[in-house]
Amino acid sequence: MKKRLLGLTLACTMAAMSLAGCGGGGSDSGTTAAEVGSETTAPAKAGGETTAASVQAAEGDTVLKWAVWDISSTVYYQPLIDAFEAANPGVKIEMVDLGSADYQTVLATELTGSGSDFDIATIKDVPGYTTLVNKGVLESLDDYIAKDSVDLSQYGGITDQVTVDGKLYELPFRSDFWVLFYNKNVFDNAGVNYPTNDMTFEQYDQLARSVTNTEPGQEVYGAHYHTWRSAVQLFGILDGKNSIVDGSYDFLKPYYEMILKQQEDGVCQDYATLKTSSLHYSGAFAQGNVAMMNMGSWFIPTLIEKIKTGEYGQEVANWGIVKYPHAEGVEPGSTLATITCLSIPTSAPHKDLAWDFVKFVCGTEGAEVVAKTGTIPAITTDAVVSAISGMEGFPDDDASAEALKTANTYLEMPVHAKSSEIETILNEGHDNIMTEGSTIDEGIEEMNEGVQAIQGQ
Amino acid sequence: MANQKNVDPNVAKEKLAKFERQLLALQEELKNTSDKKKRNRLISKIEYTQGKIKQAKTGERLSRQTKRDLVAYSFIAPNFIGFCVFTLIPIIFAFILAFAQWDGNNAMKFVAFDNFVQAFQNDRFLASLKNTIIYCIATVPLTLICSLGLAIILNQKVKGRNFFRTVSFFPYVASLVAVAAVWNMLFSPQKSGPVNMILYNLGMAAKDLPKWSADKDWVMFTVVLFSVWKNMGYYMVIYLAGLQGVNAELYEACSLDGANTWQKFLYITWPQLQPTTFFVTIMLTINCFKVYDIVYMLAGGSNGVLNKSAIVLVYHIYEEAFRNWNLGYASAVAMVLFLMVLAVTLIQFRGEKKYAN
Repeated sequence: MKKRLLGLTLACTMAAMSLAGCGGGGSDSGTTAAEVGSETTAPAKAGGETTAASVQAAEGDTVLKWAVWDISSTVYYQPLIDAFEAANPGVKIEMVDLGSADYQTVLATELTGSGSDFDIATIKDVPGYTTLVNKGVLESLDDYIAKDSVDLSQYGGITDQVTVDGKLYELPFRSDFWVLFYNKNVFDNAGVNYPTNDMTFEQYDQLARSVTNTEPGQEVYGAHYHTWRSAVQLFGILDGKNSIVDGSYDFLKPYYEMILKQQEDGVCQDYATLKTSSLHYSGAFAQGNVAMMNMGSWFIPTLIEKIKTGEYGQEVANWGIVKYPHAEGVEPGSTLATITCLSIPTSAPHKDLAWDFVKFVCGTEGAEVVAKTGTIPAITTDAVVSAISGMEGFPDDDASAEALKTANTYLEMPVHAKSSEIETILNEGHDNIMTEGSTIDEGIEEMNEGVQAIQGQ
Repeated sequence: MANQKNVDPNVAKEKLAKFERQLLALQEELKNTSDKKKRNRLISKIEYTQGKIKQAKTGERLSRQTKRDLVAYSFIAPNFIGFCVFTLIPIIFAFILAFAQWDGNNAMKFVAFDNFVQAFQNDRFLASLKNTIIYCIATVPLTLICSLGLAIILNQKVKGRNFFRTVSFFPYVASLVAVAAVWNMLFSPQKSGPVNMILYNLGMAAKDLPKWSADKDWVMFTVVLFSVWKNMGYYMVIYLAGLQGVNAELYEACSLDGANTWQKFLYITWPQLQPTTFFVTIMLTINCFKVYDIVYMLAGGSNGVLNKSAIVLVYHIYEEAFRNWNLGYASAVAMVLFLMVLAVTLIQFRGEKKYAN
């Protein structure tokens, strides 16, 4: 019933406007709301139909519905399902693809009200997780964890960072962290040594400058920063002393100074241009004139795959990874993490079976299945690291394998009740500083004020 | 005789007598009133009572009038039911929601005017209100002038007139996503961007070159420019229709009196086009209030988040409703937008009466 009410709300904004607008032009807010509405339902329906057809549920089997994104391009869903179904006869998993771009928004809409029948939901990011927890649509996993005595220490402390008011609502099965990708050809051409697993920011900056070529027509960029705020701002939290949500951002200043100077000197590409052209980081790196790029480990399988299929040419075929640069006195290997988790909605029809699935996927068995596909699972044992570094297409130098071992990992966005509002403010501050619309001090001041205002609410 | 019901004849008689008394009273009243409106009302009442009398006399279940009404209602029913379910009820619900706090799952909480108070204290709301109004004030006259100018030029007998008309209309039908990408390329923030290259060669210092849609001081300007370029073709067509409706004899008479081109425009074209201009202004204003897609495409960047320098009301509604799940607050902002559009619409209704001919 509530779901219907929500639908009405949607239609309502739309209708009020199209009515008042006397049916004006075609591209008005009316269609916006309608688009939002149809986007939420259309992929779900389409996905549901196609996957429902592929699941051959025998009579008496219990079918669990699992909300995911990008079924066709994600390699580990099916192996996980196969392994689980083999171990649990009588249970079938049906995937429903909610689309990648606005997955969290669609999922939240699906779980709004009580009409959905998802048993398991994949959680893509922390702000989305917080939203769902605030809405009260996720089941607390604490009782299940206590019942089956799951050892949370194997997740390396990451579960503590997503605990809300003493309760845990998700378990991670995949954990990506940021590393520094580099193009060996660029360094060879410049006659400069490769980056190492132990670099301070100062050394990193010098290295980037030493391979840079600003001559028109033969530009080589020493570094590349994607337009996400995390590519720059989160350098600042790696020392473990600062947090991205506590409302004081003065610690960001040295990093912005370093990167703006690089931008001015042509060491990295201009942020404003990257923003307006919406250039994807993979495209930037594939051009072969970028020496170093900080990016998440999710780029590893993509890079291997695209080089294998020949989509990326020889200019990037010779790549490597090293650990993130670090501030003076901080242990190398401190980096940012992005986790992908599983949750059980409160409206799930088969909660106990869903928990069996969650426990399996997020446990050691699931981790091995995930690692075999080249993806980094949340539980990183030595076996997992060697499985990934032994993959075909992975750089064969020791430094790259070593780079997969992390020391301290910090979530890109910690759990906070207002995380999506804070995200908006930080994005704006980052944007203004990087386009030089504000000075660094002004930008930081904007962020301080904005976030403090939100926290004060 | 299924249409007749069995009634006690006495009851029927009583009813009949009652209606006849009413009829007489009404007819009496009609004689004594002179006000036209009142008379009309009385006449329709009399007709209604006469129908009732006939019904009582024949003993039919439904009078002829009722039957006619039912048929009429059945014709509008398909549309009206849809309108109720998808438009009317949702609108009423939105009005209620604007005074509540709701995230779609937890219980709805009534908060009176808190949402509105909150809105006017919210930086992003104020910024979006400001940007929407600036966008309106800049876009409406500019589009108006450009489309009128184009229409006047293309209304004359120039070579390749149809070709140029098509060209001017083209931006309107072209896909927004595609042209926005091209536009962002033309207005690339770098020195090497085509537009900036021209400015640079005209002697502007490289440091002062605007970053266009990535520049917080220039982004609204870029958006306005884009919107004028994209929409002027459509309004040009409306103006062309208006120009074709102007009587050629007027121009002839005017030339005989020795008027020059400018005077002809000022004393004939412009006044004759007034209803068209009025219509175009209203449509433009309403569409401007509802702008969202253009800003999103030009200034959204890779993560689709609009900054305070570019945020507009509709985007603010979307972000609050579906990213932050403040459905009540978002409805309140929608109400504000609704009131703004309503005001413009009311002006239009009044104007329509004046210009209707």
